[in-house]
Amino acid sequence: MTLSSKSYAVDDAAAAQEFFHSRGWTDGLPVVPPTTEAVQACLDEASMPADHLVGIEPVRERAITAEKLAINAVMAGCLPVHFPVVVTAFAAMLQAPFELHGPTASTGGCAVLIVVNGPVCETLGMSGSFNALAASDRATTAIGRAIRLILGNLLDARPGGIDRSTLGHPGKISYCLAEDEKNSPWLPLAEERGVAEGLSAVTVMAAGAPRQIMNEWTTEPEQILDTFVSEIRANMRHYSIWPGNYAIVLPPQLRAHFAAAAWSKADIRRYVYENATIRRAEWAECGKGAVVGDRGDQVYPALPDPDHLLVIAAGGPAGGFGAVIPPWFGTKSHAVTVAIGDCVDGCDL
Amino acid sequence: MTSQFATSAELMARVLGADGYPFAIIDHPMSSATGDQLSHRARIAATAIASLLLLPSSDGAG
Amino acid sequence: MSLQILDPTHEADPREFRPAARLESLEGTTVGLLSNGKKGTRPFFAALAAELEENYGVARVVQVTKRNFSAPAEPEIFQQAKQWDALVAGVGD
Repeated sequence: MTLSSKSYAVDDAAAAQEFFHSRGWTDGLPVVPPTTEAVQACLDEASMPADHLVGIEPVRERAITAEKLAINAVMAGCLPVHFPVVVTAFAAMLQAPFELHGPTASTGGCAVLIVVNGPVCETLGMSGSFNALAASDRATTAIGRAIRLILGNLLDARPGGIDRSTLGHPGKISYCLAEDEKNSPWLPLAEERGVAEGLSAVTVMAAGAPRQIMNEWTTEPEQILDTFVSEIRANMRHYSIWPGNYAIVLPPQLRAHFAAAAWSKADIRRYVYENATIRRAEWAECGKGAVVGDRGDQVYPALPDPDHLLVIAAGGPAGGFGAVIPPWFGTKSHAVTVAIGDCVDGCDL
Repeated sequence: MTSQFATSAELMARVLGADGYPFAIIDHPMSSATGDQLSHRARIAATAIASLLLLPSSDGAG
Repeated sequence: MSLQILDPTHEADPREFRPAARLESLEGTTVGLLSNGKKGTRPFFAALAAELEENYGVARVVQVTKRNFSAPAEPEIFQQAKQWDALVAGVGD
């Protein structure tokens, strides 16, 4: 099938870099020139025609096609085998509960956290182990970057354009991780969120930067979770009080203590739900007294219900380091999980 | 639009096929402005809004 | 050697936009004010409503707030707006 995108002739790959940079089509890093052959290879991998409609972005009423996603995926460094994950992630972002415009335009400066589950992780070499949250492997880095390029090039969500982020955070470059299902005592995140056992899936969440916690001095699940809860409460005090999806990342060293105590992810969610609350009056302790008003005694939970906590097993084998990943604005955008097979027909992943 | 969002209004107008769509601009930010400041901005906005909503006057005075 | 590379951006589709007709006068009109609900908007829009009614002859100002400041207003608001002579919306922080 003929691709419909406009095509430009450049002298070579080096010329292609300056061509893209001068037009604001990159994130500042080099790009892989998106030739017809490279883009077609992605479309073939996903068994998608170029004009396959992935979805409509509602604010701009803009059709998002497989061809345009593939062009940006190639630029980001994705191999064809990565492309089904990219398509599924963006399809999830286009679903109504994610409310895409807010997270990608807001001064709040969040990024899109992408969590991958299922057999696709092993196929693509995504371990969910060392450096789980930062450039751990080719696939997670490229897939996360593809989403960033897609937002800029297809939705004009570029810094100072429609993206009004005051600060943003480094996750806006790439923010993708695999859950370490092989070494986890628990159900995978996607399966807990309704995807059938054994399927590959993607979860997206409008997320702030990860806040690393450390607790290597206890084996008690409650005490370990109290450290996570304290970080969640700090986020509610310092950033945003509104409830929504939070994600917590638990590495093997901490997971072992939960396994020894026979704690499931449901037990973890229940504990965090019950304990991660603050009173509005606490804002006065961190400079926000102006907005306490006469509602100081009002109690705010971090989670509307336990199921809003995304518990992710990931991280290197040593170190009692976990992470709290807060929402951009919990009531305005919700995490969405989509099975890859729901987006990509006949996909073997 | 508050002043710091004027460029995003221009861009969104272009994206939606309404390049050059006129709008009123008031000072930024709102969240920390006093009541007097907000009232003052409301008066400025009202003048601009009236001009934007009405047909040009026939004497060309705008 | 030359390379043919593809455009990664949304290539503009021609969109037809027609602004709503301008008014002859504000006298006796109904004007809707659509707020994003952020802090500061309530006193601002209240003051704006008073200005329009007291000094510009607007007969009635209807103030509505959309559910999500980062998303388009709900369809019900646009239905309601069909009854108005003009709609004023604001974006700011």
